[in-house]
This record gives sequence, structure tokens and C-alpha cells, in this order.
Amino acid sequence: MPAFFEDVAVGDEITPLIVEPTTTQLFFFSAATYNGHRIHYDRGWAVDVEGYPDVLVHGPLQAALLARAVTDWAGPSGRLVAFRTQNRASAFPGQSLRFCGSVESTGIDDGPGLVDLVVRCEMDDGTVLMPGTATVELPRRGAP
Amino acid sequence: MTDESLIDERATAAIGTVIAQSSGTVVKKEFQRWAAAVGDRNPLYFEDETARANGYREAVMPPLYLPQVTLGVVDLDTLRPDGIPGEGGTSELIPLPKCPRWMAGGEQTTFFEPVYDGDRITASRTLDDVEEKHGRSGAFVLITSTTRYLRGETVVARSVVTTIARP
Repeated sequence: MPAFFEDVAVGDEITPLIVEPTTTQLFFFSAATYNGHRIHYDRGWAVDVEGYPDVLVHGPLQAALLARAVTDWAGPSGRLVAFRTQNRASAFPGQSLRFCGSVESTGIDDGPGLVDLVVRCEMDDGTVLMPGTATVELPRRGAP
Repeated sequence: MTDESLIDERATAAIGTVIAQSSGTVVKKEFQRWAAAVGDRNPLYFEDETARANGYREAVMPPLYLPQVTLGVVDLDTLRPDGIPGEGGTSELIPLPKCPRWMAGGEQTTFFEPVYDGDRITASRTLDDVEEKHGRSGAFVLITSTTRYLRGETVVARSVVTTIARP
């Protein structure tokens, strides 16, 4: 993880985060977000009524895991200042999801350094479920 | 606007107006439970010491937790059959009766200030636009709204959300 802006170069890859969400994790995320939508915990409803293959991983959980991959890479001195995601497809429990990305550009905005990343959540076969971008602020070496 | 328009006049009239406003107080244990549900044991969210060493006042709220802060209290007998709140939901705030199928499009959030336990946050949502589009899978309505999250007079974050509504 970069301690300073100067440690980052365009093209750097963030450490991929691999997560296989479980129905237990989905339940806890529903609880933590006060979300009663049955497609996330009631398999009978999701499959028989709504026609999905299983309960669905929440879009905001996909987004939170993608942000986690970014902030894990950025480390404690980095601060997430902008985050953009696009919901392209749903994920289901037991699927192996990979949260990854790379540095697209860097710049200095009158103080700390800013790092722009292009990120995505993808499945094993490379299908992108959630593309996104993130901007991380990092301190500059030698700055007070 | 033709007779075939998917967009209800009431939705058009709401463009540029505040369609929802709600407030709530940040509770450390709640944002830590959210982080744990994400599997995100970032010490900045859990340890005051680590947070202070990195310029924060104390353990800081995970930025993506912000929309949870201002959620209200739901009566179970007002839920729709699928468990979504039936009253005060987005589909009620933006009336599009010809397009009952809604799905999340995307979200772009800018975080201006760290947020901490005890902070009182007000979310104010403005409807930016309601546009009819014609894609490969047919006509749909693209809804764009901006939510400003305020602590007192300070905007701590701004989020632009797009939602797709289909007939």
C-alpha cells in the first residue's frame, strides 16, 4: 500500500480482493442496511416469484466490496474522495467475485495528491458485473 | 409531449425540486456492524488511535455507509409483498405509473468531509431529470437525482444516482 502520493504510478494494479458472498453475509448486510427486500434472503420468493436463479447479492454490497478493495490498497493514509459505480449485472451467493482495478492517472490539486483508478467487480470468466472509478487522496512526501 | 410518452406529467413537474429530505444521527456501532458485514475491518473505522494517527478526530465512518444514516423507521404492515417499503419509496416520490419496473443504474459520490459518531446528517434529494430513452431492449425512462448530505451547513458528500424505469 502506498504511504505517499509519490509511491503511486500510472498502471499500478490494486491488490485484487476475492470474495464469495454467502447467504449469511447477505443477511447481515440486509440487517446492517435495514433492507427488507425479500430477493436478498428469501430464496423461495427470489426463485419462484421473481424468476432469479437464487437470492441476489445487493448492488450496494458489491459497491462496498469494490470500495474495500480500493481503501485496502490505499492504506490508512489514503482517503476515498470520489467513487462511481454502474450496476451492470447481479451476483449470486457462492459465485467467486473479484474486485480489482488499476491507476489511470495521477495529479496534484493544490495540496495532497489525487489518484484516479478504474475499478471493477468481475466473475471468474471475466464478466464485469460492476464497472467503476475511484479517486483517492494521498499525502505528498515531505508535506507538513 | 405525445400521448405515447412514458413520462407522467407529475414526474416532469417534480424536476428541479427537492423530492425527499430526512435526517439521522451517526452511531459508531451501526457503521461498524455494516463494515463487518462487508468484511471490511479497516482500522480507521474501528480504532481511534489509528484514525488519529492519520489525521482523523477518532474512528471514522466508512464513506459508503452514509446513505444508511438517514433511513427512517418502517411499519411492517406498510411493506409491499416483496418487502420493499410501500410508502415514501422512490416510486412514490417520482410517479411513473407506465414504468413499474425499476432498477439501479449507477451512482457517483463525492466525499468532502469525514463523518463521525454522533454527527447529525440531513440528506436532501433533488430530482435532476426524467428522460425517455430508446435502447436496444426498448424504451425506458432514465431518472437522475442528486442527494446532498449536510452536517449543519456543511455539505459532507454529494451523490448523483441514476435509476432506470421500464414499462
